[in-house]
Amino acid sequence: MSAQTIIVFNNLFAILTLVALAGAIGLTVYRVVRGPEAAGLLGGRAIWLAFAVALVSTIGSLMYSELFHYVPCRLCWFQRIAMYPLAVILLVGAIRREAVVRFYGIPLALIGLAISIYHNLVQFFPSLEGGSCDPAVPCSARSIEMFGFMDLPFMAGVGFILITILLAIYTKATE
Amino acid sequence: MTATKKPKSGTTQARGNSTLWWIIGGVVGLGLIVWLAMSIAGEVPVDESIGYGDPTVEGDPLPVYAAGQQDVSVGLTAPTVEGADWNDNPVSIEPDGTPKIVIFLAHWCPHCQAEVPVIQDWINDGNVPDTVELVSVVTGTDRLRPNWPPQDWLEEEGWTPPVIMDDEITTVAVNYGMGATPMFVVLDGNNTNLGRITGELSTEALDQLVQVAEASIEG
Repeated sequence: MSAQTIIVFNNLFAILTLVALAGAIGLTVYRVVRGPEAAGLLGGRAIWLAFAVALVSTIGSLMYSELFHYVPCRLCWFQRIAMYPLAVILLVGAIRREAVVRFYGIPLALIGLAISIYHNLVQFFPSLEGGSCDPAVPCSARSIEMFGFMDLPFMAGVGFILITILLAIYTKATE
Repeated sequence: MTATKKPKSGTTQARGNSTLWWIIGGVVGLGLIVWLAMSIAGEVPVDESIGYGDPTVEGDPLPVYAAGQQDVSVGLTAPTVEGADWNDNPVSIEPDGTPKIVIFLAHWCPHCQAEVPVIQDWINDGNVPDTVELVSVVTGTDRLRPNWPPQDWLEEEGWTPPVIMDDEITTVAVNYGMGATPMFVVLDGNNTNLGRITGELSTEALDQLVQVAEASIEG
């Protein structure tokens, strides 16, 4: 895989992250302004969108490790553990139109979000994870840096936030 | 009696149309994002060799030094390295009679980024005696990681110690048993390893490294 191709995908995932972040903010504002009826905006599509976010995040994560040969660090693995099952759980929940999927999806997404917040903190304050970098897979070093601030844990964190919000809205839509 | 197809209700049809528009919107939006990603990336030709050197290493490698552990290779002779900086000025780590402190750095390592200005200020304050030589090795270079190329970073920091650019397979780092960055190796004038340490060091700790190096002259 050429460096140029990896740069294109870095840009692609970075822009998708910005779009997801805008979506998460927009949905939150809409929910605050419109109240419970905001759930009607997406209806049953909310869970399909949540599945799409989990699927793109999973595919992106696998692309970075398997195609671009970025070795995932310890904290990246913990986030993967939270994200990968979401892609399966949300697909099954969407097909079966089961509102109960929120009881499995939201906790997983929140656990993943907590880890990615900590991972972002480690990147801003490297001393949280010791005073040196493992040359192979340092958690404190950024693998990529898009728009001057965005790395893989930031992308994952936005994914977890959007999935949480979509599942919360789906919850309202199904009640 | 013939079976008749139940006509779609208005609500069902409207929902179907709405979903179709969502799908069309999603595909068009994704297409725009892909186009934007390719446009931003551009087709700027980059010299892939930037940031790498072509050093030669002779001698037995030191065992890997794990951060925070005792260095079991104290007393062993470190390999001789012949390399060059990014302007092709020759730089070496050899048994020339001068004790050395060799500093291994990686451009993407946040601890190295924090340590470089600390070391440079310490040098500027005149804490390195003429009897001890500082040599740095830039290793682990990766074009796709932040703060690349390393020479721009070090020039911005006003880095004055001579620099050996390691190669793509980190030959110098591997032969010096680098287990983490930054790593400091203190050598006597015969290239004997007097100790290795990793991580961000305070100026007091840097003073101690100089004392160890100087003690080898007196010893």
